[in-house]
Amino acid sequence: MAKKIVVDPIPRIEGHLRIEAKMNDANVIEEAYSTGTMWRGIEVILKGRDPRDAWAFAERICGVCTTVHALASVRCVEDALGIEIPANARIIRNLMAATQQTQDHLVHFYHLHALDWVDVVSALKADPAQASAIAQSISPWPKSSVGYFKDLQQRLVAFVESGQLGIFSNGYWGHPAYKLPPEVNLIAVAHYLEALDFQKEIVKIQTVFGGKNPHPNYVVGGMACAIDPNSDTAINIERLNMIKKIIDETQTFIDQVYIPDLIAIAGFYKEWLYGGGLGNFMSYGDFPETNLNDFKSLLWPRGIILNKDLSTVIDVDPRDMSQIKEEVGHSWYTYSKGSDKGLHPWEGETKPNYTGPKPPFEFLDTDKQYSWLKTPRWKEQPVEVGPLARVLIAYAKGDPMIKETVGMVLGKLQVGPEALFSTLGRTAARGIECKQTAGFMGHFYDQLVANIKAGDYKTFNSERWEPSTWPKECKGFGYTEAPRGSLGHWIRIKDEKIDEYQIVVPSTWNASPRDNRGNSGAYEAALKGTPMVDPSKPLEILRTVHSFDPCLACASHLYDMNGNEITSVTIV
Amino acid sequence: MKKINVVGLGNILFGDEGFGVEVVRALEASGDWPETVQFVDGGTQGLYLLDYFESCDALMVFDSIIPVEFEPKVYCYRKEELPAFIHRKMSAHQMGLSELLAVARLHGREPSEIVLIGAPPHDLGLGNPLSEPMLRHLARAVETGRELLEEWLVK
Repeated sequence: MAKKIVVDPIPRIEGHLRIEAKMNDANVIEEAYSTGTMWRGIEVILKGRDPRDAWAFAERICGVCTTVHALASVRCVEDALGIEIPANARIIRNLMAATQQTQDHLVHFYHLHALDWVDVVSALKADPAQASAIAQSISPWPKSSVGYFKDLQQRLVAFVESGQLGIFSNGYWGHPAYKLPPEVNLIAVAHYLEALDFQKEIVKIQTVFGGKNPHPNYVVGGMACAIDPNSDTAINIERLNMIKKIIDETQTFIDQVYIPDLIAIAGFYKEWLYGGGLGNFMSYGDFPETNLNDFKSLLWPRGIILNKDLSTVIDVDPRDMSQIKEEVGHSWYTYSKGSDKGLHPWEGETKPNYTGPKPPFEFLDTDKQYSWLKTPRWKEQPVEVGPLARVLIAYAKGDPMIKETVGMVLGKLQVGPEALFSTLGRTAARGIECKQTAGFMGHFYDQLVANIKAGDYKTFNSERWEPSTWPKECKGFGYTEAPRGSLGHWIRIKDEKIDEYQIVVPSTWNASPRDNRGNSGAYEAALKGTPMVDPSKPLEILRTVHSFDPCLACASHLYDMNGNEITSVTIV
Repeated sequence: MKKINVVGLGNILFGDEGFGVEVVRALEASGDWPETVQFVDGGTQGLYLLDYFESCDALMVFDSIIPVEFEPKVYCYRKEELPAFIHRKMSAHQMGLSELLAVARLHGREPSEIVLIGAPPHDLGLGNPLSEPMLRHLARAVETGRELLEEWLVK
């Protein structure tokens, strides 16, 4: 009988992501099932509210993705009401979204994902002189002296030895799937700490434009910030100079730290090309240079790739009621007109109907309903969203900058484009995208400064602010490419209030359960075929799931004084 | 002059989960505080709050908590009682107070004073307001925070 492994982050009240995998006798995963264990249902609390307030609720749905939900929300209300925003508002929104994406990717790589490849404890054995020599051979980054690595190593030793701190607790240190030499581990740990430090700077851009952080202000019709080069309180020369400095530093950090680390680490794992998964990819596109309905102006292009075929990019239209549908055949919801047919978000429903076992339980019945996530599909096909999808679509469409960066990374690793269809490919794509997006930040900054120099300070269009100017009934769609992938908000407005609101988040695409035809979602497909070195320490599962940057443990985070281990692993 | 950050953690969409944020709002409104005290609605931002943890001399955090012995009351923990962990986790969104404290410590930028004030939640229902018992804890937590802030300010 097949063995089962369950990775469940949370045995308590909150809900997160849970993976059940069936392994064969050789410990290779044969089937995987992905479950969102908590009902979010933000849609229900938006009903009946003023559409102009929706963004403020939407930005609380998700722990880290505040700005992207606020952005998708204001875009969808503006789309419904036919509001055109001033150029400055578009540029500022682009710059804020690019900032978020860049910061998010850095934090993801170093804080969440690096430890799947980097063995912190091994770094204690490193020779600082050798680490310094390696660091200097791969990058001109100045923090690379022998003394720097020696000092860091001593600090690490002190921390690990202090025991009661439990810092880096419950890692799988010493796991045979770790392949880096101690010196590369030490470099990665150094950059782990530097990246955490650096991301504090990037976020200051959000504070300037959003008025505050971590919950920046958006407004339907534009942006709430005032531009006035001569004012102390508005966006002025001093603040613009600060932003320029942060953008330059961000680009340097990515070029000199993130990308070289990515290549150095990936070089030791070239044979670990598991986790490719579906081979279908989707992006709504983002960063409009004119407006959101002018798809040719999107700097991240829109489209769909099927079956890894990079020769064809298919059009996707999220407004077309026949293309994107959410199914609930394996989810704990019902649809009033029959749960066996998918619904486009404009006719979507959110009616919870839990039929699973009473917690705590050992296994879910994966033949029936097993997730709080719905199953979004494009023309009944499962697709992967996120950095890999965006990079592949831009690559397939011939974007010259993406072609160059992809070529550089693949060239240094001496692998072909087929290596991109893997867990490591997904991780590399995130770095490639981060470099591209940091470049866009500079571009948006230049656009904004040029507008201001030309005397254009406008950030807000108040024409349709008053509900009396709205149609009695209307509907809208707002989208953005969030760090984790395509995010869509669909709204119906009736009598000045929200009548229906549906959100399809990137992790719903990627972490969705089986669809009505029994086809796996992206996580489920990606885990299939992965060999496990030690199933009691499922590092390989974490690698692949982390490579998608899951966004499920979003809504709740009680502080546990017991310091309980978060991820429990059960094998039967 | 001493820089003090007051940070509320939690998700205001989920009933008592939003306790920390609500306390900080009430505490800020309860007095005329000097500019050296910064009040932060931290939400569930995890590591993105690092700057607020590393850029002050004294840090006061409010959160809903799971205490070791679960009693319905307001708990107050000092720096040395707070566990600092970097856990293996599924999502970047699982990062909480323990990670922030651990990273601040590793950076060598831990504030000299840290206090966590919290209470165990009763109701985490979506869209619900703070529960009755939690509202009582809120008044108590604001009082505790006020006294401590005034103490820190004269030090």
